[in-house]
Amino acid sequence: MAITEVREIDQRRQAAPRASHTLADLSHGPEAFRLLVEAVADYAIFLLGPDGRILTWNLGAERIKGYRANEIIGKHISAFYTTEDRRNGRPERNLREAARRGGIEDQGWRVRKDGTRFWADVQLSALHDDQGKLFGYAKVTRDMTEVRAAEERERQLMMERQARVLAEEALKSRDRFLAIASHELKTPVASLQVAVESLLLSREQGTLDVPRTERGIERMDRAVKRLAMVLGELLDVSSLERGATTFTFADVDVSRIASEVIERFAGVEGQGRIKADLQPSVIHADGIRIDQVITNLVDNALKYSSSPTPVTVRVAPQPSGALIEVSDIGIGLGLDAASGLFEPFSRASNAADIPGMGLGLFITREIVERHGGRISGKAAPGRGTIFRVTLPKQPPRNGDGGS
Amino acid sequence: MGARRVLVVDDDPTLRETLGEVLADDGFDVRVAWNGRDALEKLDGWNADLVILDVMMPVMDAFGFQSALDERSEPAPPVILLSAAPGLASAASELGAVSVISKPFRLQDLIAEVHRVVGPMNGTAPASI
Repeated sequence: MAITEVREIDQRRQAAPRASHTLADLSHGPEAFRLLVEAVADYAIFLLGPDGRILTWNLGAERIKGYRANEIIGKHISAFYTTEDRRNGRPERNLREAARRGGIEDQGWRVRKDGTRFWADVQLSALHDDQGKLFGYAKVTRDMTEVRAAEERERQLMMERQARVLAEEALKSRDRFLAIASHELKTPVASLQVAVESLLLSREQGTLDVPRTERGIERMDRAVKRLAMVLGELLDVSSLERGATTFTFADVDVSRIASEVIERFAGVEGQGRIKADLQPSVIHADGIRIDQVITNLVDNALKYSSSPTPVTVRVAPQPSGALIEVSDIGIGLGLDAASGLFEPFSRASNAADIPGMGLGLFITREIVERHGGRISGKAAPGRGTIFRVTLPKQPPRNGDGGS
Repeated sequence: MGARRVLVVDDDPTLRETLGEVLADDGFDVRVAWNGRDALEKLDGWNADLVILDVMMPVMDAFGFQSALDERSEPAPPVILLSAAPGLASAASELGAVSVISKPFRLQDLIAEVHRVVGPMNGTAPASI
């Protein structure tokens, strides 16, 4: 066998054209297969004995591995493996596995005759005789080094692109946050400054009496409280964005939370302005945060619609979780009819165009998203605003806190 | 000639009350409103010489207010725009405001601007901007 192989590698180049004359004659014989296999240049195709020693060789094997047939036939398959793989018994393990399972596929570094490495895609099939006794292996190896390098480059490029997109989004998000934050802080600071300066002006003009002083102090107190509240919200947003806020998930009935929120507002708003349509909807969520979501939405609805018009809170179970809807028939926030309410967040220049709502909505959205839910808002001038929150039965696994 | 009339429109109570008080002290006839709709009601039968107008307010913002004002037969009073929002200059030109003041601001600067727009009160010379 070995002798045949040694001879053929030198004769191969003549053999191929000669074969073409007689191919039709040979097409059913084993010789045709031999010629075919020998001529394949892109694949190393060869046979191994049951002991893992190399029996045949082809053009592809010579090209990929660098050995000529007479140099390699009779050697053990482990000659192609790296030192580490040999030490770890990978060649023998592959043979064993192929014998056991009929065949294996393996990818890994292999070594050429000159010591350089190539990335190989190997298919090793066990060959059995009629009695089912192992008599050898067929091995097909492809040199995937360039394909792998190209894939690696592609992967690198992809990762760089993704990193760039993420970095840009992070920058945009920070800009939005800064725009909203500065807008939210400017308003109470302006009030505080005007209150203080009006007192200073009165003092200058000699009109600073007790009632004036008292009014001034009350206004300053109000402005400072507002400032503290905005600051608290800013810290809340920052903590939510950094993922530093711990959520405590438990089974909660969203309709009960909504009814508590409505009760709280009823004390302040009175007049039965809030209409409720609440159906029990139990989900796994952070009750305090869901309270915050409903409170923010109801607060907005009351603020952005004038006094006699109702604000409707609807809670309904859904196959996937729970639905919360807060709608008013106010003036629709004066936003463009077609534009979704959340659009301002995605346009930095308009980020601060929703006064007083900026941070509340920001926080609301963060909470909903951390629950794996979705929030959408629609405003139509003259027809009011509707916010729709859907929450899943279970928060996503990576939502903090867990349960 | 009676006192000049100024309407202060801002949803922030501290700001509108304080501005109203300071301008009244200065001799103006002042009304305050907390949003555009409220402002339209305050202007009913009371023609203002000047409106100090916040841009973003609940219920009716400066844009809604201005377009409602444009539909009235009376000539619209000049407007000084107050805002904490960015893009104030474009809002000002869209609203046809005579000037814009961004929040926060010095009280003296606003008073000076009011005097510049409606003329001096109480014989005091207006500060120039």
